[in-house]
Amino acid sequence: MTITEPFSLPVPASTESRGALEHGHRVSVRGARKQYGALAALDGLDLDIEPGRFTVLLGPSGSGKSTLVRSIAGIERLDQGSIHLGDVAVSDGHRYVAPERRGLSMVFQDYALWPHLTAQQNVAYALKRRRLPAAEATKLVGEALERVGLSAKGRHYPSELSGGEQQRVALARAVVGRPSLLLFDEPLSNLDADLRERLRVEISTLTRESGATALYITHDQSEAFALADEVGVLRAGRLEQFAAPEEIYQNPATPFVAKFTGLAGSFSGRVVHSRDGRVAVDLGGDVVFARGSESLGVIDDAIVLIRPTATSLEAATDHPEAASASTVPLNSDSAFTSVSIPAVVLDVAYRGRGYEHVVECRYGVLGGVFDTRPWSRGMHCSVRIDPSGCIAFPADTGTN
Amino acid sequence: MTTTLSPSAVVPRTTAQGTAVVSTSPPGPSGRVPTRVRTNPFSRLRVAPMTVFWLLIVAILVVPILLFLLVAFSPALLDQGTEWFTLSAFSEALSGQFLVALLNSLLVGVVTAVGSAVIGFGMAWIVRRTNSATRRLWTGAVFALLLAPSYLIALGWQRLLEPGGVLEIVGFHPTLARTFFYGPAGIVLVLTVKGIPFAYLVIANAMRSLGGEFEQAVRVHGGNRMASLRVMIALLSPAVWSALAIVFAEAISDFGVASTLSSAAHFPVATFMLYNAIQAFPVQFPLAAAVSWVLLGLIVLALLAQSWALRGRSFRVLGGRSRPTMRIHLTRSGQLATGAITLVLLVVTLGVPAFGALSASVLTGLGSAMSVHSWSLDNYARVLTSPDLRDPLLYSAQMAAITATVATLMAAVCARMLASSKKGVSARLLDFVLLAAVALPGIVFAAGYIFAYNLPLMNTLGIHIYGTSALLTLAYVATALPSTSRSLVGNMSQLHESMSEACRVHGSGKLRTWFAVVMPVIARPLLAAWLLTYAATLLELPVSQLLYPPGSAPISVGINKALSAYDFGGGTAMEVLAILSALAVVGIAYLLFAILAPQGWKRLGRTS
Repeated sequence: MTITEPFSLPVPASTESRGALEHGHRVSVRGARKQYGALAALDGLDLDIEPGRFTVLLGPSGSGKSTLVRSIAGIERLDQGSIHLGDVAVSDGHRYVAPERRGLSMVFQDYALWPHLTAQQNVAYALKRRRLPAAEATKLVGEALERVGLSAKGRHYPSELSGGEQQRVALARAVVGRPSLLLFDEPLSNLDADLRERLRVEISTLTRESGATALYITHDQSEAFALADEVGVLRAGRLEQFAAPEEIYQNPATPFVAKFTGLAGSFSGRVVHSRDGRVAVDLGGDVVFARGSESLGVIDDAIVLIRPTATSLEAATDHPEAASASTVPLNSDSAFTSVSIPAVVLDVAYRGRGYEHVVECRYGVLGGVFDTRPWSRGMHCSVRIDPSGCIAFPADTGTN
Repeated sequence: MTTTLSPSAVVPRTTAQGTAVVSTSPPGPSGRVPTRVRTNPFSRLRVAPMTVFWLLIVAILVVPILLFLLVAFSPALLDQGTEWFTLSAFSEALSGQFLVALLNSLLVGVVTAVGSAVIGFGMAWIVRRTNSATRRLWTGAVFALLLAPSYLIALGWQRLLEPGGVLEIVGFHPTLARTFFYGPAGIVLVLTVKGIPFAYLVIANAMRSLGGEFEQAVRVHGGNRMASLRVMIALLSPAVWSALAIVFAEAISDFGVASTLSSAAHFPVATFMLYNAIQAFPVQFPLAAAVSWVLLGLIVLALLAQSWALRGRSFRVLGGRSRPTMRIHLTRSGQLATGAITLVLLVVTLGVPAFGALSASVLTGLGSAMSVHSWSLDNYARVLTSPDLRDPLLYSAQMAAITATVATLMAAVCARMLASSKKGVSARLLDFVLLAAVALPGIVFAAGYIFAYNLPLMNTLGIHIYGTSALLTLAYVATALPSTSRSLVGNMSQLHESMSEACRVHGSGKLRTWFAVVMPVIARPLLAAWLLTYAATLLELPVSQLLYPPGSAPISVGINKALSAYDFGGGTAMEVLAILSALAVVGIAYLLFAILAPQGWKRLGRTS
């Protein structure tokens, strides 16, 4: 039987103790399982977050990221597994610590501001558990609102604030109590692109200033990469990869991770050369080079995943330089260079800093092919593919 | 017990006493102080409040009704006869005068439903789709009509039209109107007056949700106003069918008109026959239960007809991109016509009954053989000084306050369960019980209570509440709970769960979260629910009539007693005072809310 624990994880008693809270909690999740009917939202997930780190969980809808964050907050209860905040088990087979006793804060997707309280009162609410003298609480609330640029709107009710302002109040409410753990449940998904970018910067700086451990969930990979010290990619209730953003982008552990963190496209072929984690894959005439897993051997069927950054456009030539299976110098390192494949421009989209193209070649379609000048639709060209942005996986691993 | 916890490393262990204790390793860099805590032994009992809640639901909603309905088939099971299974009560209920009464109820129900739906639709169109100057008058009148019990409307008309009534005293002889009123037409008239607000609210709400683009699409593609009206009616057909079903169910289960006008007009209806079966000596519970089954069957048939009519059709007209409708700007003649319609309706529905009651209450000697009558406030003075007339008002006010408080609290819990996005088995069961209870006529409730709490079994169990105010309170709560819960579900559904979750995450327990977030946000709907329950209970008739404790008559029984003793002046003065007292309570409650409630609570009420 689960015992509902009445104890509280600590929150600082006053501003004097701020200095002591240089790091937030270590967060440790072991074997987390949560079932909704036949659907396993969490399927034996393990996660460790070091104190003071900003971790972003990235995953599609239904991958379990919301369930995980809500379980850490104590809003959901795990069916199995444990959660430790610091060294305290807040959820395991025997105990469950109520959310209000976990000493954390959370920013919600729909802001979750209390509509009957002003912005000031909303922020001040999070200080109640610290039982500060009124003057000190008022000062902290003022500082928090000022920090998010809303000191002039403290007396406004949520309905009198814009969406961005409401989320700023929610952010101020989350940080004002200087919690050891800050949770963010897709806080920017309801905002427009410009506002999202500005608030992202505020979240990043405010959270890091506070010294709290932060766990942030999103399905937007650019948001994840921009914010995170570490990114965890979730799929079907399991963690596919947990690493620094650069590592996730450059060395995705699975095709799913690669796909979810941004691909121009993928080609299928057969490995014709493999050495030191590098492979040459024959697509059916042309050969491309890629980084590949050790398990890929010659004659294995493979799928080559291509990052947008690995592609560029150039004028079509009568004699494409692409290597063919018969011409690959199998023992030469110098062969792992970019190749050029004939293609036709299907679509072009202006993106401000330049143009993104969708091109079709005989092996498939590539999107997000960038150039500073536009290439007309229907125009023949060559797409150059750089092996540094190509990753090969065994074909049977798939990308879905 | 909670104390401040601990530095970084906290390790749980178990003491000899078996309590989980959290002890700490030496303080870490964050300097937190060590703490030991005990698990709360009462946490094992946290299911207890919900168990009590469910026991109460079963005791007041499920058991009395089920036992009563069971006796129609098996009198011997509950000591009401010798047969363990029989349909004889049904054959009696479906023959002779009982059959006539059922057919009368059916006829009255159908005509009332159609009449109310047509008028309700028309008024909804005037209020929602035109700029008629009188539309705001109607919006206010609808709530007065919802609160006015049918017997008070019937009595108002009766005081005016009866032989020796107000109109005759002032020199009119409304023979034709009297013939019309004291018959099926009069019964349909009063029940239609009661049905109009239900039909209006259902249709007007649907009309508000119906975006203007559907009508605009008809017009831009060549349709005229009539064509767009036809499209609108088709799109609103779910609401129209709901209105028909609701008004039909209300009409055939009405007891107020049955006990006043239909008995005076010798036009028997099913609910009055049910009442007679319980008042007969010996009491005919199996027969009353059989009549209840037939009434329930008719209501279920109405609901089935509604779902059959809408089968397989999609009426999803409310989308995020719906545009608000444009009001039709009426011409001068349009303003006059809609104004005249509204005024005629106001006169018929509220004006006449109010005038009948008010005029009768200030006439002396009304109902007696006296030939000299005068206008005075003597009747009011008598009500305020005579215990027979005053005490029912005070008693009902107390009972209504207790009932409103208990029912609103329980309804808030029910509504929270029903509105939860994670509806469990218990919430689904509660949903079914409350839905079934909404369809049950009040008189069936009352009959079920008389039957169940009079059973020898209750004595054996040590439950001796038959004939007490406690039983009357339980019955009042049971009749009020389904509709009060329903009225709060909408508000509870609008309450985003993340608001409560945010409160929990930021340090508040469940109870504090309820009071800090849920209560303020739904304070105004809760107050409205309390006031509606108060007003409805104050003037409630069927349960009061069947269950009032000896020596403590509620106001509706007191009025009936005064009227049956031909003290028409005293009876109507009681009516007027009861209504005035209800209005005063409503006024005072909203005044107190305006003065005492925090600014944020009041803003929410205005914007929601």
